[in-house]
Parts: sequence; C-alpha cells; structure tokens
Amino acid sequence: MKSGRSMRRGSLSRGSFKRGVTPPALIPYLVAGDPDLDTTRRYLRLAASSGVFAVELGVPFSDPTADGPVIQEAARRSLRHETALPELLDWLGTIPKEELPPLYLMTYFNLFHHMGVEAFCKKARETGRVAGVVIPDLSFEDARGYRSIFRSFGVNLVGFVSPTTPADRARKIVREARGFVYYVGLMGTTGSALSLTGSIREKVGAMREWTSLPVCLGFGVSEPRMAREILEFSDGVIVGSRLVREEETPGRWEKTFLEFVAACRKAEPQS
Amino acid sequence: MIKGVAALEKSRKKSRPSSPSLPDYRGYFGEFGGRFVSETLMPALLELEDAFKTAWRNPDFRKEFHEMLAEYSGRPTPLYLAEALSREMGGARIWLKREDLNHTGAHKITNAVGQALLARQMGKSRLIAETGAGQHGVATATVAAKLGFSCQIYMGSEDVRRQALNVFRMKLLGAVVSPVDLGGRTLKDAISEALRDWSRTVGETHYLLGTAFGPHPFPLMVRTFQSVIGQEARRQFMKRVGSLPDALVACVGGGSNAIGLLHPFIKDAGVRMFGVEAGGIAISPGLHAARFAGGSVGVLQGTRTYVLQDRDGQIENTHSVSAGLDYSAVGPELAYYRGTGRIVFDSVGDDEALAAFRTLSRTEGIIPALESSHAVAYALRLAKTLPRDRNILVNLSGRGDKDVMEVSRLLEEKGEKL
Repeated sequence: MKSGRSMRRGSLSRGSFKRGVTPPALIPYLVAGDPDLDTTRRYLRLAASSGVFAVELGVPFSDPTADGPVIQEAARRSLRHETALPELLDWLGTIPKEELPPLYLMTYFNLFHHMGVEAFCKKARETGRVAGVVIPDLSFEDARGYRSIFRSFGVNLVGFVSPTTPADRARKIVREARGFVYYVGLMGTTGSALSLTGSIREKVGAMREWTSLPVCLGFGVSEPRMAREILEFSDGVIVGSRLVREEETPGRWEKTFLEFVAACRKAEPQS
Repeated sequence: MIKGVAALEKSRKKSRPSSPSLPDYRGYFGEFGGRFVSETLMPALLELEDAFKTAWRNPDFRKEFHEMLAEYSGRPTPLYLAEALSREMGGARIWLKREDLNHTGAHKITNAVGQALLARQMGKSRLIAETGAGQHGVATATVAAKLGFSCQIYMGSEDVRRQALNVFRMKLLGAVVSPVDLGGRTLKDAISEALRDWSRTVGETHYLLGTAFGPHPFPLMVRTFQSVIGQEARRQFMKRVGSLPDALVACVGGGSNAIGLLHPFIKDAGVRMFGVEAGGIAISPGLHAARFAGGSVGVLQGTRTYVLQDRDGQIENTHSVSAGLDYSAVGPELAYYRGTGRIVFDSVGDDEALAAFRTLSRTEGIIPALESSHAVAYALRLAKTLPRDRNILVNLSGRGDKDVMEVSRLLEEKGEKL
C-alpha cells in the first residue's frame, strides 16, 4: 500500500521535489495575479521549496460558476490588472524552472476555447512549465473532442468526480483522467464546509482501486488538521478558499500555507 | 421581392439537412450547445434529460400540460391584426401573437408550467430560477405557489431596482428573491448564482431555467414547451388568412419566445424569420446586447454559442433598456439557424424600442413589454419595405405594465413629456 502510494505520486512529480524532505501531498490553489504577479511568484517559489505535490494555479475568469464568494472575489481583484491566459504562459516562461512546483492551470473552458485548445497546448509545451489543466466546466462528455489534443501535447487533463457521480460513470472518468483525479468532496461551490463521512472514504478507496493516478480530495478543506485526516485515505489534498482568503496579505498566506505543509508532512507514510 | 424569394430558396437549401433530429444525443445543434457544467451537475442533467423524454412521450403528461395552459394561463392566446398600426406605417399588415395576454403577462409561464409539472414527476420539492425582467421569476413563483413547491429566485440587483413591481409580485407569491450583487448585476450574474445554488441542492431542487439556453437538455426542453406559440400561430393564421405569414419577428434575449414562435415554421421556406437583439446605446463593448453583431463563439454557462467577450475571453457586461434582453450570450439553437441562414438577425437600439413602445400604446391601446418593443420596432421597419398584401407576425411576448415606471423615469431624464 505504502509503496503503491509513492508510485502514484511519482506520476505527478516533475523532479522538482526537494531531496531529503518528505514531500507533502498537498495541492494549494492560488489565484494568479492576486494581489499581483510578483506576490504569486513568491508564493510559487515557497510552494516549490516546500516540495508540494503540485500547485493549482487559477486563471481568473469573469463568470466562475463553480466558485464560492472567496475565490470569486480574488478573481475579481486579479482581473483588474488583466491576467490573460497567453500572457500568463509567457510570464511563467520567464521564471526559472527550479522556482516552480509542478503546475496545473485551473480555469473555465472559455479561456482555453478563446485562445484555441491547440494553441494553448502548443504554447504550454513550449514554456515547459505546465503539467496539466483543471477545467471544472468541461464535462466528461464535452471533453471528448479535446482530450486527444491535450494528450498529444502532453498536457494532463484532470478528471473530476463528485459525490453525485454514479460508480459506473466515475470508473469511466477515472480511466480517461490524466495527472490526477480530483474528487470533489462536497456538493456545492468552493469554500463550503466539508465533512468527512464514511461514504467519501469509501468512494476515494474505490477510485484508488481503478487507477494508478493519485486520487486527490478538494473543496471545503478549511483546517490543517482536516488535510491530515484526508491524507489517511486519499493520495493528496487540495486547499483552495482557505488559502485564497489570505492571498492579499503575504505574511498570513505564508504562515497558513506552512501550517498545511506541516500537517500534511505528518500524514506522510515514512518510506 | 424576387430577390427576397431567391434568398429564401437559397436559405431553404442550406437548412434542409437539419431540423427534426436536433439537438443530437450530446445536446448539440451543429457546433453549438453541449453541457459545459461541473461534474456535480452532470448526473442531474442526465436524469433531467431522461425524465423529460419519457414525460414528453407520455400522452397523459402532454394532456396535463395543455390543460393547465388552457385553464390556468388562458391559452390559446389571440392572433390580433394591428390595423391602425399597419395603416400608420403604410406597408405590410402587422399581426400580433398576444403572448402578453397569458396569465402573469408573458410567454414565460408556458415553460414554467411544463418544467414544474416535470419537476413534480421527478419528486423535487424546490424550484429555483434566474430572472432578468422578472417575468420568468414571476412565472416560476406562480407555478410554485400553485403546485406547492418552495421557491427561490435569483435576480441581479440592477434588475431588482428597475423591475421593482415584479420583485413585489414574486414575494407576494411566496418566493424568496435573492438579489445578486456580482458582475454587471443583471441576468448573467443571476444565472451563475442559480447554478451555484443548484450544485449545492441538486437532490431536492429543480433549476427551472427560463430560456432556451444553458446546458442540454434545457434548450431542447424550453423550445419544446414554448413551441406551443408557433403551433397556435400557424393554425390561427391558416384559419384567418388562409395562408402562412410572410415574415415572423421576435425579440431575442436568451431566445425562448423567438425559438417558440419560429421553430414550428422552420421548414416553411416561404416564411422569412427575423430575430431582434438589443442594440442598446451603440454596438460597442458594454453598451449593447447584440451577440451576433458584436460577439464571437465562446462557452458560457453550460453552452457553446455566440458570446460577448473581450480579446482575453472574459465575458463583457451588457446594456439594454430592457432587462430581459440584457444578456451576454444567446441560445445555441438560434446560433445554429443563424449559421444556416434560416433566421436573420438584426438589432434595435434603446431609443427605437422606446419609440415603438409608445407607438403601439398610442395606436392600438396595447402597452408592450420593452423586450417585445424591440420586435415591434423591427416589424415597423420591415412593414414599410413590403406591399400591403403581405403579412408580418410579431411575437408580442409580454406586456409592459412592469416597465411603465422605468419608461416614465427615462422620459423624464430625456426631458420628454407625454
């Protein structure tokens, strides 16, 4: 089990984990450009040096239908200085690779569609800074025409499974997922309150049987203690609104982030 | 006219391999449509699609739907020849499909009745809806009251301000009205909030989407229910005139009154079709809501269609004097028929719509909704170019009672007196 776990994590790693330190199975979510890109860069560097699993880097969109008030507000702040997708890729290209954790760009499908999925993938591959994409409103069905494009450029398209997903559907989603499987722990938008029920544990357990990809749980993870508890049964934990709330104040963000890192390290299986 | 006929022939040929089977099984009308929603909502959409298809095949369901429309909403709505208006324009005869005479004052009730009956069959206990002008919110609150659902309506706070009368009506009907203070504070933002609510409460809640927009199966379902408008108009026209109308005109927000009137005529090549968008102040970002004039193909709120967006793909805010047309995207089926050339789209600005609002009131004693005033204005333009023996049918989708306070404020602003 333990060795299986680290193997799973291996598929996410792009070799930037810090040697000699147990990598925390944490995926923090950041809104790019909130409050500004320099601060985002500092956060990314800290995340990289802490050896996190990956960072989900949110690209702000005007109409974020899957997000709760905290992330909506952060996106609005960031949009004031126009954080467009192509320019964001250029910007990532200017940052030395060792200062970046494995990056998953998260945003709504219109931004990829507008840039052109192929143009995006091409550029993402050129910069060499993007491990994959997380697109909450690209349903499994509508992804059909785009999956092969993402794959041919080596951009991982993360698969979403939610508490409402029936088992046979979840199995199909997991089979087509790349990078990791994002299990949405609760019904609702980001930042709602999650409670860790037996049914969540069971579903995550089932999915881990179906795939060698890491199964990560997100939505509503509000406390380091909760993150640690989640790592008892899932391969990774995604923390969004709780951190985004602190984004505007760098000192507080760093403190909270490190608390999550510490909690997640404690949960690590010692290899 | 000869030129017009030739264009018609061309459009008929192009649109031939289309209609009966659309949307396809994935909810696409050609390249438009789809189900761009979060995974949490997908199972609910699949369930809804199944439930709708089963119900619509069931004669008992259809019977209940049509009975409720007849007895509760007052269908069929009349077909009315606006003689004085036509005379004043000095061209083709203008006919009005009087959707404004429906219970609650607009065509919206038809879709609300259909979806509420379906929601009851699916065992849901709560209805939520978005509303722009408030007509769909009122229609949803009305059927919720009648059929015993709890009800919550999301409405942009800008619309709450300019449609105060409808807000009060919804509350009177027992609905909770939640003002949405995000983005441009209009219809788009209300839809986003309704989607967020639905993803929290999808077990017991049905999202009663008010227009032929959003993820599949909504565009199909709303069109199916609203097609009653066109089916009635066809029968009424054949009976009164002995032929089909030469042209149909409808305003287009999301597009439910338009597709409802037009769809039953899609295969009648001799019937020209016009959709009228809100031209607002000018066709320039943020000042209008004419998606086909100033937009491009994008993905918003569950569907791939024409969207008003900036060069980065961010959705633009819109402006129109009418809250019901003040929206950044348009129904996917209309986008499809624009592509085939079957439906021609144009826009009418705020001032022209306001003038039509006054003209129809003065000549016929009918106060139209500001939304419908856009269609009336376009019909007036069209009538002047056609001979007197031609017939134009306008969908008078709603009545203007809700708008009189706003219009009075606008006229005062312009220093105009009645």
